[in-house]
Amino acid sequence: MDQVYIPKRRMGFEIGTYVVVKPLQEKVQTVTPFFYNINFLEPIKVEIINQIFKNISSNISRYDNIIITGSFLEKGFSFNDMDVLLISKEKIEKEYLEQLLENKIGIKVHIIVMSNKTLLKGISTDPLYRTMLSKCVSIKRFVYRVKPEINYKILDLHLLKSKLLVENFDFLTGREKYEMVRNAVAIALFIEGKQVNKSKVDERINTLFGKSMDKNLRDNIIIEKKEFLNKYEKFYKDLSSGILSSIKNGSK
Amino acid sequence: MVQNRNKLIELIIGNLSNVVVYELLGISIDDEIIRGYYSKELKVSLDKAKSYRGQINPLYSPLPDKDIVYIKDKIIKKVKAELQLRMSKGYGNIDLSLVEGIVDSTLKDMKIV
Repeated sequence: MDQVYIPKRRMGFEIGTYVVVKPLQEKVQTVTPFFYNINFLEPIKVEIINQIFKNISSNISRYDNIIITGSFLEKGFSFNDMDVLLISKEKIEKEYLEQLLENKIGIKVHIIVMSNKTLLKGISTDPLYRTMLSKCVSIKRFVYRVKPEINYKILDLHLLKSKLLVENFDFLTGREKYEMVRNAVAIALFIEGKQVNKSKVDERINTLFGKSMDKNLRDNIIIEKKEFLNKYEKFYKDLSSGILSSIKNGSK
Repeated sequence: MVQNRNKLIELIIGNLSNVVVYELLGISIDDEIIRGYYSKELKVSLDKAKSYRGQINPLYSPLPDKDIVYIKDKIIKKVKAELQLRMSKGYGNIDLSLVEGIVDSTLKDMKIV
């Protein structure tokens, strides 16, 4: 019997799994990504996304979807890493895959593995999932029609992250500041039953805290620091009190 | 740089306070789904705290006593304030007597004590 040797560290199939042996040279598969709420993406980024999709597909045997999200999809090249949501029920060696992609593409890749069930639960209860997925690129068509489920205890725990903005303001990077404000504002929109997506969140940030504040936060240029912090503290306090009162009144 | 060190210590305190709050809220709740959310958030805050800790010397042995006392006191105060606020708003089963023990073990894991 012919024998095939494979590396000990491998992904996608366990010892004893039946496999198909195929020639290395295969017809090149073309990937047509699905773009959601993206008006423009630099051609080089589209190429990188295709590379990510191809590399994951050839290393992972079964997955439901691969979704690219985050700052990589913003105009320009000021992103820190690529956020990749890998929707799969399989056990995946995340760190190994991240390293493999980083070596091949030269960009730091941050992979979050979750099942479809977890993704849908996240979309229904966590406003940040909605913000994150409002702008994305996926390998398979991605449609979610999930009714928002307001669970005040979950919102309370999400909001706690944004409290650190006031006490650590001088020590945080622009990106960290923006993420904390975005988190709190997304929660407020979610409770109000409004649409939660990146542009709506940025719009509300600017209405609440001043013109171009979304950009100023990201760039870490807050000229009127005291004024901003006063407004933010009041906004946070009102939002937090509202959430905690809803818990007290017996809402979920 | 002393200024940088102080900044990192404040960032550690903020994130570790959230870690302990999430842990205690997780212990207090029966709902498996919400407990899952607490442990997920706990991990995120813990990872952040670890990345800040990784920038303070000494890396592999405890920090000076003066820093330990400051960090521990501040975390305990912050955690108790957050939990008491939630207890007054209807969160049940929160055992404040566990705070110090959890703070100690968290600081140990972080090689702060």
